[in-house]
Amino acid sequence: MSENTESSWLQFATDRPRLTVWAMVVATLALVALAALPSVWPERFGLLNPLTIDTDPENMLSSDEPVRVFHDDMKEQFSLYDMVVVGVVNESNPDGVFNVGSLRRIYELTEYASTLRWPDPDNPGRQEGVVEEDMLALSRVDNIEQEGVGSVRFSWLMPEPPDTRNQALAILERAQRIPLFDNTLVSADGKAVALYLPLTSKDMSYRVREALLDKVASWEDTGDQVYITGLPVAEDTFGVQMFYQMAISAPLAMLVIFLAMWWFFRHIRLITSAMIVAMVAAASTMALLVISGSTVHIMSSMIPVFIMPIAVLDAVHILSEFFDRYPLHRDRHRAIREVMGILFKPMLFTTLTTMAGFASLALTPIPPVQVFGIFIAIGVFLAWLCTVTFIPAYIMLMPERRLTGFGHAAGDPDQDTVMGRWLRRLGEGVVSHARAVLVVTMVVVVAAGYGISLIRINDNPVKWFEPEHPIRVADRVLNEHFGGTYMAYLALVPEGDNAAQDNQIFKRPEVLRYIARLQQRLGETGVVGKSNSVADLVKTVHRELLGGDAGAFRIPDSPAAVAQTLLTYQNGHRPQDLWHFVTPDYRRASIWVQLTSGDNRDMSRVVQALDDFIAANPPPASIQARWFGLNYINVVWQDKMVSGMAMALFGSFVVVLLLMALLFRSLLWGLLCMIPLTVTIGAIYGLIGIIGKNYDMPVAVLSALSLGLAVDYAIHFLARARATQAETGSWRRSVAPMFGEPARAITRNAIVLGVGFLPLLAAPLVPYQTVGVFIAAILLTAGLSTLLILPALVTLLQRWLFPGARRAAPNPQNQEEGVQ
Amino acid sequence: MSRYWPVTLFQKLALVVIALGITPIALAQDAGAAPSVERIVNRANMVSYFQGRDGRARVAMSITDRQGRTRSRELTILRRDGPETDAIEGSAYRGEQKYYVYFRRPADVSQMTLLVWKHQDRDDDRWLYLPALDLVKRIAASDKRTSFVGSDFFYEDISGRSIDADSHELIETTDNYYVVRNKPKRPGEVEFAYYDVYIHKQSFLPVRTEYVDDSGNLYRRYTALAVEKVQGYPTVVKARMENLRNGGTTELTYSGIDYDLSLPEDVFSERYLRRAPREYLQ
Repeated sequence: MSENTESSWLQFATDRPRLTVWAMVVATLALVALAALPSVWPERFGLLNPLTIDTDPENMLSSDEPVRVFHDDMKEQFSLYDMVVVGVVNESNPDGVFNVGSLRRIYELTEYASTLRWPDPDNPGRQEGVVEEDMLALSRVDNIEQEGVGSVRFSWLMPEPPDTRNQALAILERAQRIPLFDNTLVSADGKAVALYLPLTSKDMSYRVREALLDKVASWEDTGDQVYITGLPVAEDTFGVQMFYQMAISAPLAMLVIFLAMWWFFRHIRLITSAMIVAMVAAASTMALLVISGSTVHIMSSMIPVFIMPIAVLDAVHILSEFFDRYPLHRDRHRAIREVMGILFKPMLFTTLTTMAGFASLALTPIPPVQVFGIFIAIGVFLAWLCTVTFIPAYIMLMPERRLTGFGHAAGDPDQDTVMGRWLRRLGEGVVSHARAVLVVTMVVVVAAGYGISLIRINDNPVKWFEPEHPIRVADRVLNEHFGGTYMAYLALVPEGDNAAQDNQIFKRPEVLRYIARLQQRLGETGVVGKSNSVADLVKTVHRELLGGDAGAFRIPDSPAAVAQTLLTYQNGHRPQDLWHFVTPDYRRASIWVQLTSGDNRDMSRVVQALDDFIAANPPPASIQARWFGLNYINVVWQDKMVSGMAMALFGSFVVVLLLMALLFRSLLWGLLCMIPLTVTIGAIYGLIGIIGKNYDMPVAVLSALSLGLAVDYAIHFLARARATQAETGSWRRSVAPMFGEPARAITRNAIVLGVGFLPLLAAPLVPYQTVGVFIAAILLTAGLSTLLILPALVTLLQRWLFPGARRAAPNPQNQEEGVQ
Repeated sequence: MSRYWPVTLFQKLALVVIALGITPIALAQDAGAAPSVERIVNRANMVSYFQGRDGRARVAMSITDRQGRTRSRELTILRRDGPETDAIEGSAYRGEQKYYVYFRRPADVSQMTLLVWKHQDRDDDRWLYLPALDLVKRIAASDKRTSFVGSDFFYEDISGRSIDADSHELIETTDNYYVVRNKPKRPGEVEFAYYDVYIHKQSFLPVRTEYVDDSGNLYRRYTALAVEKVQGYPTVVKARMENLRNGGTTELTYSGIDYDLSLPEDVFSERYLRRAPREYLQ
């Protein structure tokens, strides 16, 4: 960017301030209108894209991702649906929920749940909600038991609520005899009963949950506690709450940033300009997002929260500088020209580096993260554009008298404020103890390296809620009572899937026995509370056909015997249940795996255990095992995210380094510039490893943010250091001025933004808290490492950094960056 | 699916029935006044399940799910009525009935047999023989609305629902059909709120039955797809049951139909389960 462009721009903004402001207002309103009109009146603006919201974490993977294609395919083939899990627990009654009153309520709740369907707006004439046919509940499943000698009975397990205590207890006894129900429908202690409500689509789960909670609101004082959980509920509820949170968190962050700025600058009108820039940038970006047809996803909902502080950042630099300079001249035109002259180039480059940091997210294989990164990069650019045009124009439009009293009173600002005095002392200390600072830095780097080695990659959508959130509580309680509320499925499919494959392999006894062994191994992982398969079904029916003795609980010895056992089973009320476990051609089977934990690393452990089992025990037929289910999809996208983020981080590191080398026309200076951010990222991630915080989605995304932000302070510092050195002719003499205005600007920046993100801590959603804490930590660490490490390094490397310094002959390049 | 589809199908079916030369049986036909609903229901019941003293048919069953995956079964069904008359008067045609079902295909269930003793006033008796386990098992069947061998038909659809279990109301008389609405006397025992039967005026064959649930949704539908006159008896030779909730469909195609074979009663006993009476199974 040449100086001419920069001056003419500034000239325009300061000479035609009104036009500048109007241009920005009109452009912003036009964008917002383009986004809002089709959202409010979709029928009248059919050509434009309306606002579409997508709260589905499955979309973290693109829809043609093999694991999703397979997942959808298997869900279809086995008629599986995502499920809401409802648990009713009674701890006060000695019989648990198996008392007349509780079972009547559970019966009624089941009937009610079976009606939870609504017209599907996308498919007129169709309904969405609970899939009644596939509900699992005491009153909806078949019991199979002995009746008298030589007779077996298929009947509803609980056709109607019992009238007596004995009838109630008999239901428990019957249910526990059926392996498919034990620990899935009823808990071992009889305290709890579960309902499994399959949904036509998982984004119905919030609505279903709300309706159920309404229904059971009158259950107080009955001793029955109702808990609702399951991954779809957690994901959908998070999506809903996320939008409330956006409406609270982003404005609250703005308010706190505003207050912090007011504390430093004490001039409402001036700091309002920074807030306007932030809002224009955030609103325009979100508008562009909508116009482009991108969906507002969990990630993109955070875009305003990210853009606002970054947008304020440059404005704070300008205001801080103006704050210090204005009292010297008492002429805003001259002051603003001076300020912009100093800051234009560093601001441009900090913007470019921040953009590079976020744009690098486009390198990840995760579509919502790509959208997130690209649009923040756009937002950062818009913020920069507004900052360099609107802020000078805004200042020019203010009546001069309004500026009276702004800035430091006459005198040396370095001595007048606590911060000023403290920074000055810091500067002297760092320069005289440069070696000590570097030793401490090395210690931090080593500790960080150790911490990073401890990093635990893990995520769990249920843990996106605070520990006392009803969904977390439900999750804990139900997973204590049952085999698990987290669902994964293991598909057993023919190897190569060729048509010549032996037909009906899943009627073969040795294959079914292998499945049973495989299930046993999964159960030994400690995470799988329960698994259900066609083998369990065959064994149960076989036992009842042969008189109900435990010894008959086995797979019969021929495929025909298996087929006849299953045909007998299909004479019940729910013949279709068989097809959840095996396809009608008996060429594919599915094992329903219930996990007590939704942690991705636990799922990974199960996957590993299975791989080991299969390696040691090759299957008797040429079948291969492939996972699907929401829990498994989460693991896949997490893996992609981690490797993708590493790629993005590396890519943006290289880009930023090149930009820095270009900015300073020196590889050495460029490398120097990268040091604070490297230390910052290392320290932050080292800390994550040491305190044992999971490396999850928000933490991964923050790496890009820290890269983009941490380098800003270094650019400002080094650009000014070079300019000051050129002015004073020596680094020694530059230290004092450097720890004047520039250091104050960096410190104010770090404090304003760090504090500004703390309101996110009040959010009930853990990812928001994580973002709040880590942005604050990143900003403070980056500010600190810039102010400590850079001066120490410059002191030690000055011979190479300022080769011509002693001759005090500023070269043309220095001139260009110097104060005019 | 077009909502007019049923009408056209009805018309076709009516033509088939007329073309077959099925003569009007109903006495009140000429007068143009509809017979009483009890008479309609009784006659339809008789025509559907009690024609002749006994009967035999080979049934090809094809079960198709929503995804279009089809499973085929082949069985032979023998039926023998207790009463020796088909007279409607005094419900004389109704009485004990016995069914013998012999599985032919698929191979791994062939020779499985199923015996049902249908009673008018108490639960049916059912026995099942599983050759691969060499096991005869009595199946208690308090509930007849369970799947018939994994198909979309219920046992009750195959052997007939007792007309005493529902109250009947003639809700419409069209050119070709009596439309009878049936409401269960004990709603807790069934999954429907009511079902409407379209009974062909001339033949008294129910050609369509629609089941509606408590929410007022049609969820299950039976359609007679083809009718032939066999030994003078109008007989459904192809029928379909649709489960509109899960998209499943089962079609039954009857062949080799014979009536009045004089099947001996002891064929319908437990000892013939293991040793199929081949001479009567064709």
